Amino acid sequence: MPTQPPLPPLLAPYVSSLPPSSLIVLSTVLGAQGNWLTLRYLYAALNALSTSDAALSFGEGHNGKKQKVVLVSFLRGWEFWRAEAKRLGLDLARLTDKRQFAFVDGLSELFAGPRTTPTPTTPTTTNTTTTQTTPPSLAPSPRGGPVPQRTVLPNRSAPGPIPARGPQPARGPAVAAPAPLAPVAPSAPPAAPASREVGPVKRLHLSGKGPAALDRLEKDIAAVVGHLNGRATASAEEEDDSEVLLVLDQPDLLLAATGPGKEIGATEMTEWVMGLQQYVHATVMTLAADLPLIHNASAAGHQMPTPLETEHAAFAIGSAHRAHLVMQLRDLDTGAARDVSGVLRVSKGGAWGQSDNTDANGNWEEKEALYFVQRDGGVSVFRRGE
Amino acid sequence: MSFRKRNIGLSTGGDRTASVNASAGLQQATSPAAAAAAPESTPGVRPSPDDGRPTTSTGTPSLDNILAGHGGLPIGKTLLVEENGTTDFAGALLRYYAAEGVVQDHRVHVVGMPEQWGRSLPGLIGPADAVDDKQDKRKGERMKIAWRYERLGEFGAGIAGSRATSGDQSQPTADGSPDKRPAFCHAFDLTKRLTHPSITNLNYIPLTPSNEPLFTTIHKRLDAAIASSPPNTVHRIVIPSLLNPTIYPFESSQPDSVLPFLHSLRALLNTPGVRATAMITIPLSLFPRASGLVRWMELISDGVIELCPFPHSADALATSGAATSHEEPPQGMLKTHRLPVLHERGGGSDQNVGQDWAFTLSRRRFEIKPFSLPPAEGDKEGQDGAVSGNMPKKADLEF
Repeated sequence: MPTQPPLPPLLAPYVSSLPPSSLIVLSTVLGAQGNWLTLRYLYAALNALSTSDAALSFGEGHNGKKQKVVLVSFLRGWEFWRAEAKRLGLDLARLTDKRQFAFVDGLSELFAGPRTTPTPTTPTTTNTTTTQTTPPSLAPSPRGGPVPQRTVLPNRSAPGPIPARGPQPARGPAVAAPAPLAPVAPSAPPAAPASREVGPVKRLHLSGKGPAALDRLEKDIAAVVGHLNGRATASAEEEDDSEVLLVLDQPDLLLAATGPGKEIGATEMTEWVMGLQQYVHATVMTLAADLPLIHNASAAGHQMPTPLETEHAAFAIGSAHRAHLVMQLRDLDTGAARDVSGVLRVSKGGAWGQSDNTDANGNWEEKEALYFVQRDGGVSVFRRGE
Repeated sequence: MSFRKRNIGLSTGGDRTASVNASAGLQQATSPAAAAAAPESTPGVRPSPDDGRPTTSTGTPSLDNILAGHGGLPIGKTLLVEENGTTDFAGALLRYYAAEGVVQDHRVHVVGMPEQWGRSLPGLIGPADAVDDKQDKRKGERMKIAWRYERLGEFGAGIAGSRATSGDQSQPTADGSPDKRPAFCHAFDLTKRLTHPSITNLNYIPLTPSNEPLFTTIHKRLDAAIASSPPNTVHRIVIPSLLNPTIYPFESSQPDSVLPFLHSLRALLNTPGVRATAMITIPLSLFPRASGLVRWMELISDGVIELCPFPHSADALATSGAATSHEEPPQGMLKTHRLPVLHERGGGSDQNVGQDWAFTLSRRRFEIKPFSLPPAEGDKEGQDGAVSGNMPKKADLEF
């Protein structure tokens, strides 16, 4: 099977050069997850930049402007995104160091709080890998670099407790220089001394109730966006020529897992997303659009819809109305096939054509295509019958 | 089928891997530190043939086979087993999973079940491939099978099956010498009781009411148990009959109670350095798949399979469903809604996707195989006619 280009030609106009202040909703179902498409958005934004200047010009939407990406993921961890992006040729850790990318972890501590740090009970083994007993000067480097005590070859011990190469802390404006490629860092920023593993990505934690809890999350994310924009450190003219793309991966989990008991409903979520949109150039949001989550809420159902279902449907449908573009992924209607992973339908959102950037809208037309994700991560998108 | 991944030569390959493993075992004996550093040498964990990520067995060889080519459940993934009706096939799967963990010296955490549950784990027979009676049968018929197809494994047996056969091809020549490879999966007998020295290591997490929310307590205890165990321990989290009202209080089935728990469980399994898998069962009759809550539970899980046992009145159909007379009739259908890793990436390219599966639970095994309906039984004369003389002659076919 021939290797696919990272951006399938049919898909390219939809993932690159997003109009300003646009919202793109990516709806997925259980059997057709949208992570591959999310990655294509990352790729379109980040790679167009790393090939530098005039080499690749995907449309003229971003005329020389730098694109940066903030990925907020509620269901998947840093490891997953890093590994999958690597298959596309994106080194997210390096991009994080270059402050073109930031990952916000909505999985690890969203509900549970910081993990209870294990007190090393038995000091039997000599490989004190990454426990926090090591003095801060030896604090494991983000590179997984040579830690002296280890006798292991550093290349093939991945699933062990070697820390993943994680992005540098993004704890608001206090963080100084963006931590250049210094591997073993005795001069590591002492901002986060007590964190267990190194990649101290910004971790979201939901506490409290109602809009106040969401506001805190918004502030956290906004801090990361601001950090990426270089408001804290860089000069003003750098601030202007970068566009930040915000990718929200399944924020509907927040809605589902809180419910009326926590006073978070579809309205609050919508306002939350709108608030986040103010900070960034464009927003991509993935939502679950499974049948029970959308259709149970309608009156045609034979039983009373649960609050979860009504709120989810309201949020998803409301978002689609506010979106410029809705990309729906679903299973093949005729059952599973070996050479088709699912159906991609691109349709206009409620806010279609409201932006001033008309040529981008001109590239967009509604269509339906099939897609196939290969074992190696390549994706082909094709029309029916091709 | 690529030969590259198997890493096995034509004739002596099996011996080579065995010797490699033997030397690995030697290293393990000499320097425990090195063994701890090399995760591949952990019993019951092997790299996936697909992408090399560590996987562990579910205790059911045929279930391992349908998990998207990984030959097992990848570490850090959860498997949600849903069951319709009042039967307890999913419970059997859980017991195999827990028993496999006990035998492999993994740390098994059982949520919400009394110690009685652990005492009723099925008894160990031996490594799965050695016990497999099909294997013996195949040896008897060896000459009838072309040699190059033989190592492809039994039809429908999948990856683990083919690996097992290619491995023991070299065994007869070694003539009785014990297999040095540590077994990945074992066979168990449901009518016996498991007796194993490490069965006392089962960690029971009872559902005791406290002033904290129930699931918060469970999560804290799981977290503490995993954090306090030595690194490189492989954990198995067993959650039987989640949300079942005879075990769980009513309010636990609220979305804002169970979904955060599943989310934190997912977070726990995804923590770097933690090597754990989880298997959860849920009764679908009480919580139908058409409800938003169950759909969200599925979305948070990495793998979702659904068991649909045939109703008892369908025994007639079931008997006719057996492909051949000496096979046991299937007892139900199995649907895979989501497979670990594969669907996370976008899904769809697995050879097993879209198959209809049937399962059979017998005393010794839980077997999943492709479901196929036999020719309709009422159509005897039609078949006979086709065989006897009504085949179109060659002249008729030529134009």
